[in-house]
Amino acid sequence: MSDRTFQNESPLDFSIASHRDDFNGAVGLVRKRIEQREYVAKPIVEGRRRDCSEQISSLDPAAPSRIVGTVHLADTHLAQEALDSLATGARIFNEMGYEKRAHCLLRLGDLMARRRNELAALMIYEAGKPWKEADADVCEAIDFCRYYAIEMLKLGPPRQLMQVTGETNYYFYRPRGLGVVIAPWNFPLAIPCGMTVASLVTGNPTILKPAEQTSVIASEFAALVLEAGVPPNAFAFLPALGESVGKFLVESPQVHVICFTGSRDVGLQILRAGATVPAGQNHVKRVITEMGGKNAAIIDEDADLDEAVKGVLYSAFGFAGQKCSACSRVIAVGDSYEPFLSRLCDATGDLLVGHPEDPATFLNPLIDQTSQERVLREIADARGVHTLAFQGEVPSEGFYVPATIFRDVETRSRLWQEELFAPVLACRQASNFLEAIEMANNTQYALTGGVFSRSPKNIEYAYQHFEAGNLYINRSTTGAIVCRQPFGGYRLSGIGSKAGGPDYLLQFVDPRTVTENSMRRGFTPELV
Amino acid sequence: MTQAHVPSSSTVSDSFQTEVVSFGKQIFQQLGKEQPGAFNKNFWSGRIMEWSMTQKDFKTNMFRLVDVLPSLRNSEAIATHVNEYLSDAAKNIHGLVEWGVNVDPKGLRAKVTALMVKQSVKQMASQFIAGETPEGSLKQIRRLRKLQLACTVDLLGEYCLSEKEAQEYLKRYMDALVVFSREIPKWKESEPLIPGHPGESSAVCISVKLSALYSQCSSLNAKRSVEILSERLFTIARYAQQHGALIYCDAEDTAHNPMIYQVFQNVFGDSEFRNFPYPGIVLQAYLKDSEARLYELLEFAKTRGAPIAVRLVKGAYWDMETVLSQQNNWESPVFSKKESSDANYEKLTRILLENQQHFLPAFGSHNVRSLSFACCYAKHLGLTPADFELQMLYGMAEPIARAFQKQGYLVRLYVPLGELLPGMGYLVRRLLENTSNESFLRHTFFDSNEIETLLAEPTFKG
Repeated sequence: MSDRTFQNESPLDFSIASHRDDFNGAVGLVRKRIEQREYVAKPIVEGRRRDCSEQISSLDPAAPSRIVGTVHLADTHLAQEALDSLATGARIFNEMGYEKRAHCLLRLGDLMARRRNELAALMIYEAGKPWKEADADVCEAIDFCRYYAIEMLKLGPPRQLMQVTGETNYYFYRPRGLGVVIAPWNFPLAIPCGMTVASLVTGNPTILKPAEQTSVIASEFAALVLEAGVPPNAFAFLPALGESVGKFLVESPQVHVICFTGSRDVGLQILRAGATVPAGQNHVKRVITEMGGKNAAIIDEDADLDEAVKGVLYSAFGFAGQKCSACSRVIAVGDSYEPFLSRLCDATGDLLVGHPEDPATFLNPLIDQTSQERVLREIADARGVHTLAFQGEVPSEGFYVPATIFRDVETRSRLWQEELFAPVLACRQASNFLEAIEMANNTQYALTGGVFSRSPKNIEYAYQHFEAGNLYINRSTTGAIVCRQPFGGYRLSGIGSKAGGPDYLLQFVDPRTVTENSMRRGFTPELV
Repeated sequence: MTQAHVPSSSTVSDSFQTEVVSFGKQIFQQLGKEQPGAFNKNFWSGRIMEWSMTQKDFKTNMFRLVDVLPSLRNSEAIATHVNEYLSDAAKNIHGLVEWGVNVDPKGLRAKVTALMVKQSVKQMASQFIAGETPEGSLKQIRRLRKLQLACTVDLLGEYCLSEKEAQEYLKRYMDALVVFSREIPKWKESEPLIPGHPGESSAVCISVKLSALYSQCSSLNAKRSVEILSERLFTIARYAQQHGALIYCDAEDTAHNPMIYQVFQNVFGDSEFRNFPYPGIVLQAYLKDSEARLYELLEFAKTRGAPIAVRLVKGAYWDMETVLSQQNNWESPVFSKKESSDANYEKLTRILLENQQHFLPAFGSHNVRSLSFACCYAKHLGLTPADFELQMLYGMAEPIARAFQKQGYLVRLYVPLGELLPGMGYLVRRLLENTSNESFLRHTFFDSNEIETLLAEPTFKG
């Protein structure tokens, strides 16, 4: 197994009719299960599904009258029980060894691969994800399992460092301890999966707290984690409210690693809470946060507008802009501004809006009513300040927000600075490429960036000076692929970790060195 | 697929192979020392091609420069890009310095450089693109007909990203049909080049790029895409029928092809177009499933009850298909080895000719071996030059086109029209094709490979 090389799970080729038919079959199957109310997400502690008195409904954002499933919400008592159970299991899980844990991940990847269409279909209903995006989400989840498994096999064996006669030096890793994963809803399978399996494979018993909005899909994942062979006291699943149980877990002295992906404000709160050492805690918590972005694409004066419009269209409005990698600002250099904007607005107007169960749908709804109301408010405010270049139309049912483009947006404005997580794009002109880079960098974030240019010199300049964890040249700025584009940002976009990259697992372990003096009584075996 | 479709013999005899080679040699004899314009070293383009074929870095940089040129709006921008792309190459290629590489972009000489580069590229583009508008291309089309060469016109354009752009495309096709069907029949050169040849039932012929007619065309939106494209092709076909023009639907990448074939069958299988003469479709021999596709077309032609034209090509999206399948770990839809496409081309050639009562076979290639094979196999089956035709790209291989024409075959050139901006993409593809290591034209006109090698029978290599 150690010679197994990593290969990405292939996305479906939807140009093949039988692939579309199979996928459509899964969509129909899931819809039927939803109608029969088969989906119930419950906390899992000690391998047992727990009933809770507090319950919420998970809704289809495109048709909110449809209840996708019922979610039982854990309280802090159950959270404490989970912590205690995992604390008991920690030692056994460590002694299980990295190879067996890596095997669990490989099995988990295979289990998901076998059910990939069904998992994707569930995402269509619970997160409002269009077909292709949902399929990519499952592929990414599978990739995380396989990639981290193979990385762990490389990381696991103790290494001999510099050896001097008379001593042996070993360098190896130990798990940090109990891990808590706090996941977002926008990649409802890939991100919770990636964070959870990274924590598990390195030997940390782990609690997964999914986003409330996508607890059903997370609960399907949780069941598979146990099916793959992770011991019941090494993994717990706690659907719950962030404000109560999330906060409780973050503050618990029993927790060693917190792995979070979500908004900047919550991320910073967790960092603060993690830095506090309560009585009885004899360690420093490691907090891994991946937060937002206010990502810019630069359209150079010599850009290929065919590619630029297509790339921005997908980066800004794919999954309705609800990706931390989404493009929300465009800076067009000089004379490219007007023709770019005009083609972009026309193209945006013709994007197909609809229920994501329809494969043709490009623009899907936002995740919930709260998001919808917040974004509509922001758009209304922005309309009072900025020039509207384009606004599309959306159905009245569902949490849709129209694709919206503003032009000539001031760099100091809220619209230029604040992440909206929505299909809203702020555009402006720069007089030259250097100024464009400056404008792009004029934000708290540094997550993704895009450059459409055919000037070798400007591309080189962007390599050096465009502040972005993931910079994309002449292509869309979303859709990072495990191992090919390790993903993550710096500045207030995150602490600089790269999911799906070679350094990711190191955040979940403590390195140790053991030196043994091999000379006893003036006699050393090497010299015999 | 039934047994009945399998060609009469799975391989052809040695004596037949000898025949193909001797026919090919005649063609080469006719070529003599004549070179396609693009390879002529007296012209700028010929020298660029020469350098491109001998220096790989130069090739990439030069073609990228050509690609970006039309979007550069002033001489400073042009001079800057010339420097960025070519200053390294200028160290080895002295001629480049003469053309103004390394001039100060803000200085006076930049204007001279810009003008010269623009002119040169325009000249180069004009070898492959007959004009910006239908009116502007009439002169070239007439010249070709005087040379006894038929045409099919293709409209170059940018991506179609919105319905406004789709409507503009549709209008361009209609406008082209208006202009051509008004002007061309007035010429005495519009008389059939080969009397009774079905491809000459009209001198007006257009090739339609279907995906340009609908901005949301995608396999995930297949149902609607097919509906809307059918509707729009109906509009074009109706107009063509009224004015007696011929139509080919171009093939594209494998993501679009299933929809294209569906639309073609929807429209030309409709009773309204029962009498539409030889509606054309394209078959790409580099596709592993092209044989199955051909039998599907055969079934369609039978059901339709009237023959269709099939342009057999090797295929123009090889790089794109290969990249996409490699990046996604998909099985590649195309043969990885060029020679396999050539071998498959001959296999499909036989099936087309053996079913000639249902087809107007049109062999699109610049490869003398492929075309000689088709001509000889047709003869072998007792067919005449009025039963099929040969097609080539405008500006790519005039000497070869003329050589076949002189042998009495109908040769049709695929003539692109369009503005400089979308034209550059087309130009770069042609330049890449000509300078590729696999290029038959390169082997013939630049590398001067042995004629025996050029005419050797291709075999499947995977």
